[in-house]
Amino acid sequence: MAEMGQQQAIQVDGLRVSFGDFVAIPGLSFIARYGEIHGVIGPNGAGKTTLLDVITGKTRPKAGKVLLDGGVDLLRLSEPEIALAGVGRKFQKPSVFDALTVRENLELALRLEPRSIRAEILNWADSRRASRIAEVLNEIGLGDAADRLAGTLAHGQKQWLEIGMLLMQRPKLLMLDEPVAGMTEQETAHTADLVRRLKAPDRAVLVIEHDMAFVEEIADRVTVLHEGAPIFEGRMADARANARVREVYLGR
Amino acid sequence: MAANDAVGRVERPGLFRAVAAAMAAIAVALPILGGPMADGPAGISPYFANIIGQIATFALLAIAVDLIWGYAGILSLGHGLFFAFGGYLVAMHMLKAGYVYDGVTPDVMTFMGWTELPVHWFGLEFFPYALILIFALPGLLAFAYGYFSFRSRVAGVYFAIITQALTYVAMLLMFRNDTGFGGNNGMTGFTKVLGFDVGADSTIVGLATASVVITLGIYLGCGRLMRSPFGRILIAIRDEEDRLRFLGYDTLWPKLAVWTLSAMIAAIAGALYVPQVGIINPKLLSPELSIEIAVWVALGGRGALAGAVIGAVLISALKFWLTGFAPDLWPFILAGVVLLIVITLPNGLLDLRLPRLRAAPAPAGGAASGAAAEVGQGG
Amino acid sequence: MARRLALLISLICLALPGGAAALDRVAILAEICSEDFRAQQSALESLAGAGADNGREGAVWARAVVEGFEGRDLRCGADGAYIEGPEGLVSAETLARAAPEGDLSAPSVNLRLRATAASAGFVLALFTEDSIEARLRAAGRLDRRREAVSAPVLAAALEIERDPAIAAVIVEIRTSLLLGDPDPARRIEAIGAIATDATLRNRTTIAEALENESDPSVRAAAEAALAEIDRTLAIGKALATLYSGVSYASVLLLAALGLAIIFGLMGVINLAQGELIMVGAYATYFTQELIRIVLPGALDWYLFLAIPVSFGAAALVGIVIEATVIRRLYARPLMTLLATWAISLLLINAVRVGIGTQNLEFHQPAYVSGGFPVIGDFIMTSNRLFAIAIAIAAFFAVLALIRFTTLGINMRAVTQNRAMAGAAGIDTRRTDRLAFGLGSGLAGLAGLALSPLYNVNPTMGTGFIVDSFMVVVLGGVGSLAGAVVAAFGIGQINVAIEPVYGAVAAKVIVLLLVILFIQRRPEGLFAPKGRR
Repeated sequence: MAEMGQQQAIQVDGLRVSFGDFVAIPGLSFIARYGEIHGVIGPNGAGKTTLLDVITGKTRPKAGKVLLDGGVDLLRLSEPEIALAGVGRKFQKPSVFDALTVRENLELALRLEPRSIRAEILNWADSRRASRIAEVLNEIGLGDAADRLAGTLAHGQKQWLEIGMLLMQRPKLLMLDEPVAGMTEQETAHTADLVRRLKAPDRAVLVIEHDMAFVEEIADRVTVLHEGAPIFEGRMADARANARVREVYLGR
Repeated sequence: MAANDAVGRVERPGLFRAVAAAMAAIAVALPILGGPMADGPAGISPYFANIIGQIATFALLAIAVDLIWGYAGILSLGHGLFFAFGGYLVAMHMLKAGYVYDGVTPDVMTFMGWTELPVHWFGLEFFPYALILIFALPGLLAFAYGYFSFRSRVAGVYFAIITQALTYVAMLLMFRNDTGFGGNNGMTGFTKVLGFDVGADSTIVGLATASVVITLGIYLGCGRLMRSPFGRILIAIRDEEDRLRFLGYDTLWPKLAVWTLSAMIAAIAGALYVPQVGIINPKLLSPELSIEIAVWVALGGRGALAGAVIGAVLISALKFWLTGFAPDLWPFILAGVVLLIVITLPNGLLDLRLPRLRAAPAPAGGAASGAAAEVGQGG
Repeated sequence: MARRLALLISLICLALPGGAAALDRVAILAEICSEDFRAQQSALESLAGAGADNGREGAVWARAVVEGFEGRDLRCGADGAYIEGPEGLVSAETLARAAPEGDLSAPSVNLRLRATAASAGFVLALFTEDSIEARLRAAGRLDRRREAVSAPVLAAALEIERDPAIAAVIVEIRTSLLLGDPDPARRIEAIGAIATDATLRNRTTIAEALENESDPSVRAAAEAALAEIDRTLAIGKALATLYSGVSYASVLLLAALGLAIIFGLMGVINLAQGELIMVGAYATYFTQELIRIVLPGALDWYLFLAIPVSFGAAALVGIVIEATVIRRLYARPLMTLLATWAISLLLINAVRVGIGTQNLEFHQPAYVSGGFPVIGDFIMTSNRLFAIAIAIAAFFAVLALIRFTTLGINMRAVTQNRAMAGAAGIDTRRTDRLAFGLGSGLAGLAGLALSPLYNVNPTMGTGFIVDSFMVVVLGGVGSLAGAVVAAFGIGQINVAIEPVYGAVAAKVIVLLLVILFIQRRPEGLFAPKGRR
């Protein structure tokens, strides 16, 4: 563990989640660090999406701790507050505002200080918006489509737009839920490129994926989940070599 | 998790301006053609002016529903509640004013056997006070109900049905005599409104003109609001509320704001409507009226204020015309119109010239998983 | 009932010791012929008691004598009495044909004796008449002619009486007779006997007796009895409320089950569910009319024959609605609200124009009229019992269908995860359609179940949709157990509040409770478990 000194972006400790009698996560502890792209992989039902739901406040755990930036207790915050605290989440299904233009989508995503809806409405024309939007449009490669309605974009473009919306927020922790599901090979390559560029010293990127090749291409570190518990943490190449991982996931 | 059914961006500035211009033209023409030139070839009879005035209040009601359904994706099947609320308040104002200033004993006192008006009528003879109540009470009711519903994320079909249940219960309450609002008979026998004789032709034309002007004003104001960032936040809530929440917006407040605003607009519509029809009774609270309002909006096109106005005008004009000679036919026509729009024109009449943004009702798989997701959310 | 009777009889035997002695026919006839008013009176009273003491045969004889006396057909001679019958004289002692010797004379009959004889005749009719109507008529007349009536005779008549209506009249006469007894001890015992049957009517009887009573011990007994009756009446009233709540809940459950299945599966609230109830009720009516024409003898069983018909008719309408409208609207649940509302509008007005707005007349077979008295004034009425039975049967049928049939498994799969179920090869479209048919059919059954209970007319369904939906909200989507608990909860709240604050207040309170409830538990009482 050479990166011991590196700061923790998100720390999950002793997490236990159950729905009625069904225990989705019996006990999970894990850490994602700034400056890293961290992949979370595992077969269906391993608890990957549940983990995301807990971090974003959608699901409340039965026990455990979730700390952002070493000190912010996310379990005490509401969903919008968690987002404002610096957690961005991309949904599995592209979710953008279809009836708004690409630019308007990005405008909505930018939350200037003070972050209140009232301030947002009053400061809509703030010049910082325009420059930041131009920056992000460029980054996600949708500069030409800025004034198109998001509903008319292709599937892949919608995914990028959603990532762009998250970038507008400058999140400390950026979580991507299966970002390349349903993408063409070309779109996957573009997305991999995009995700790599999301890497920043003040940001941790958490990627939840099925696509092993994609994770291998982008992730600095992976956690392999099985039935809600981590069975491996380390480099992807080592994961492939790990017998337990091979057994439950790569399998047969 | 779009709680709303597919609505693209349907605002059309040209149409919006055309409808505004038409309303302005009517607002100008009405006092002239209904007043000094009433007997001329293009003259408007008081009867016809009255119908125009009523339809204007319906258009206002449609605007109110479009704000929350078309923009924020929240369907209310209970706007009759706020409409009637405004109507009852203005009726009480007129009766109280007649009683206090002109010594006219309201019928409602006679058949309720009251010797004086109950305490909740206190001060209603003062128009400014009545006006404040017309804004404040329906607004408060909407705020309280909206707060509890939105906070617990009651949405979609759940929300719609509960608004209807609320209205239904209010109707049952108002039908009772001991609720103190005239029961079954409601309130009628108004003599004056703001000092003018309600029966006079000039008052009828004046009220109709006022209705058109106020509707136009609110139409323009709401149009501006919906083009503002606030409107965009509402559209975002309609299309992907979860996404917006995860961008850090607490969607409770914008929803609550537009819901309360919408209720207040409906109350104003009711307050304009009642002096023109000369009666209010609990029938305004029947589920039918409330659903019909949603039908106007669905016909005209959700998410475009011009569409709402057009829908309200078309259907209520058709209703006025038809109920005159074939009242039995009306329910069939209305039902037919609803089924037709719902099945063939997801965005109402606006679909006729608008290329669809989203595919029409998708085949079962994907589409219904959306529905299922919504159930999960509502449930 | 039996215990009560035994108590009464023992009481009456106590009151009149030595009443049961065989009649000396010769002596009685001699008294009748004696021209001594008192003796005649006493003889008539003895004759009136013949039914109690001497069985049917004695009663038949006594009646013949009494009617002969009253009708001036009795002849007295030196060697006995005879009755002038249609076929000549018969012996008044044996009723066999006889030829008298010597002169015969009719005994004198004054008004008083005549009244006593008439009264005795009515008493004896209770023992001798075979037809229920005749006995009922006699009992009714007896109420006004009590000259020859005594408590033990009435007890004996009650013992053999099988018809509840006649028994009720006899009991009433008996109690008023007993309460008028000059002996306070007997009055107290009479009050005790009456109090064993705690009905409102008996309460009134005792309360009236109390008003005219001066004896302190009797007063105390009456007051104690009133308190006891009040307690029982209160229990009965509570049970009656519970019962009518359960029956309302049954109808609600049928309507709500259908709504819940459809909502759980497709996210669609069918605002026409109330009109499907109406379709079921009208189907029941037409089944009745058809049987009236084709098989008049089986008319009483039409409600059972209507079970498949009402289910099928509503299911068919539901499937047509699904295939023509709902199918096109799956992604748009809010539009479905409007569409199903339009359908309800169509159905109501089609029936209104096609059939009319009047309430339909239903034949009420014996099994849905009357009821079983349970306690106090609580009568378990058969029509409500019928509705409850239908609901329970339908509920278990649905439960079995969902547990064990392919359709049920498919429905559960599609409800949980539509895409997955589709991918697993389930025909989701077909499942939807059949489920919609099932949900609609259940509403049809609700229409059948309520036809003996409520008015059936085109707008009958409109009141149900709000309550049914509240059941779905409260019970939680896709939870049958939740629907049952919610239906019974709402049914009970409705009927519990209604008598105190009125039907409107009941609705208001239910609605407010539901709104408050979903604040706390938006998923309903029994949320399906899983990630939301």
